[in-house]
Amino acid sequence: MSANWIWAAPALLLLAACQSMAPPAAAPAAPVAAPAAAPPIWQQGRSADQASSTLAPVPGRMIATAASEIPVASLKAPAGFKVELWASGMPGARAMVRGDSGKVYIGTRALGRVYEVTDSGAARTSRVVVDKLTQPSGVALRNGSLYVFAIDKVLRFDGIESNPTAQPVDMTAVFKLPPEQHHNWKYVAFGPDGKLYVPFGAPCNICEPPPEYAQLRRYNADGSGMEVIARGIRNTQGFAWHPVTGELWFTDHGRDWMGDDTPEDELNRMPRAGLFFGYPYCHAGGVPDQDIKKANACDGVTLPVQTMGPHAAVMGVHFYTGNMFPAEYKNVLFVARKGSWNRTKKFGYDVVTVRTDADGKNARIAPFLTGFLDSSTEAFSGRPTYFLQLPDGSLLISDEQLGAIYRVSYAR
Amino acid sequence: MCAGAASAAPSAERLAVCAGCHGANGQSAVAGTPSLAGQPRVFIENQLVIIREGLRDVPVMKPFVAGLSDEDIGALAAHYAALPPKVPAAAPQPDKAKAGAALAQRLLCPTCHLPTYAGQQQVPRLAGQDETYLVAAMKQFRDHPGPGRDTIMAATLRGLNDDELAQLAHHLAHARP
Repeated sequence: MSANWIWAAPALLLLAACQSMAPPAAAPAAPVAAPAAAPPIWQQGRSADQASSTLAPVPGRMIATAASEIPVASLKAPAGFKVELWASGMPGARAMVRGDSGKVYIGTRALGRVYEVTDSGAARTSRVVVDKLTQPSGVALRNGSLYVFAIDKVLRFDGIESNPTAQPVDMTAVFKLPPEQHHNWKYVAFGPDGKLYVPFGAPCNICEPPPEYAQLRRYNADGSGMEVIARGIRNTQGFAWHPVTGELWFTDHGRDWMGDDTPEDELNRMPRAGLFFGYPYCHAGGVPDQDIKKANACDGVTLPVQTMGPHAAVMGVHFYTGNMFPAEYKNVLFVARKGSWNRTKKFGYDVVTVRTDADGKNARIAPFLTGFLDSSTEAFSGRPTYFLQLPDGSLLISDEQLGAIYRVSYAR
Repeated sequence: MCAGAASAAPSAERLAVCAGCHGANGQSAVAGTPSLAGQPRVFIENQLVIIREGLRDVPVMKPFVAGLSDEDIGALAAHYAALPPKVPAAAPQPDKAKAGAALAQRLLCPTCHLPTYAGQQQVPRLAGQDETYLVAAMKQFRDHPGPGRDTIMAATLRGLNDDELAQLAHHLAHARP
């Protein structure tokens, strides 16, 4: 990566607006005095005409929302689909993974917790497996071991499903986590190759990322064999492997402060390792960055399969492989759009499907689950975040804002 | 449509405990202790949660938050958010306040805290806040931003010297709500 870094000291970077609830970890390194004339570095990337904007990230809800206050009845899915509240009372619930016993493990960000949900059939109960971590949003299961990725820590709980008090093995050192926090809360997953895929987001809104950021790596489960398999990824918070081709598909959040409608978030396909996906020079479907200029900015960039809307906050993705939904949903990609903050009118706050050929061509987006956002008032209830397909073919969808999980089922 | 907390009001006993430091009606009379009145509900909620969870370390608060349930926190936040904010009594020193105002504009404080410094959602009200507390809080952000302290705040205050923090605090403490 070029040494032309716009930002200097470590923690001095970030969004061009206030952050909701991300607690930082270690104290920053040597302070840098901002020159009197230049704008502060944290608002880098904001144009002059947005100087009076008061757009700010949507605050999460850190206390439990009672089931009675979750407006499931307002949610709409296509004909034949039913949406019900499956679990609640877990503020900050994000990515979900399911063990062989049926227990579901769920990561969070600011609250620092990992939840374990038990399904008794009639109801779901939850407990906190671990807390006080720095944004432990990454969870993965392999051979009965739960892997928890916080920003600055990796813990492995062996045999967690049968041994609830399993003490974690601290794996932090082997994964070589870099120090910056921004965009480094994780989504992680084991691939079909048995390797653990871990992204490292750009530690800023827009900047030349240092060599260990804006990339996707994979490791063996023990942390060995680290490889950087893709670069130019600003902030991916969801990926999945195509059921037929085995290729990795991932979402990527576009930068802020280039206006309401550009650049859009991305849905990308990774047919092989070693590709460059554009950041910081080229965004979305081929939009050169306005601040970090490069001649022929989009040359050599692997462009997205589909742009996913402006500031949509694309999160989890899931290829449906069950038999409950109609056949037309087989191998179709579901994408959760948590919803925008850097836009004067809200966008997203829904779940869509993206139908494409296996090589990503002929992409068509269609709404799947809506009703979270009332566009006439700009009020929203929840923010859909991640998916988990159950053995019966129903689909769980987490709602980070309401700390709830919905179950979508289908019956003729 | 946002799931609103239909929480019961906090008990008089609990509020009396809070008032011991934070003042009657959430208006602090103790230098170094923040006023709570008129703080955005989400801000109070979030701070009480992260203090309770130990993510934000405030030793003096520990015994008071230890047993608070999520419902208790929701009720306390709603209660204090609805109270009228403290109006600054004295007039500011003009030069100091002017310097602070210039700094605040340069650092774009009004973006998140709003031009009135009333705050919004998870961003606190600064207008009329206790000046000593503001200085201490800003120093924490600048020098020891630990878990529970916003990363944007740490970045914004980096590199400011103590005089500049004092000017900012003076300007904000005297901003009329």
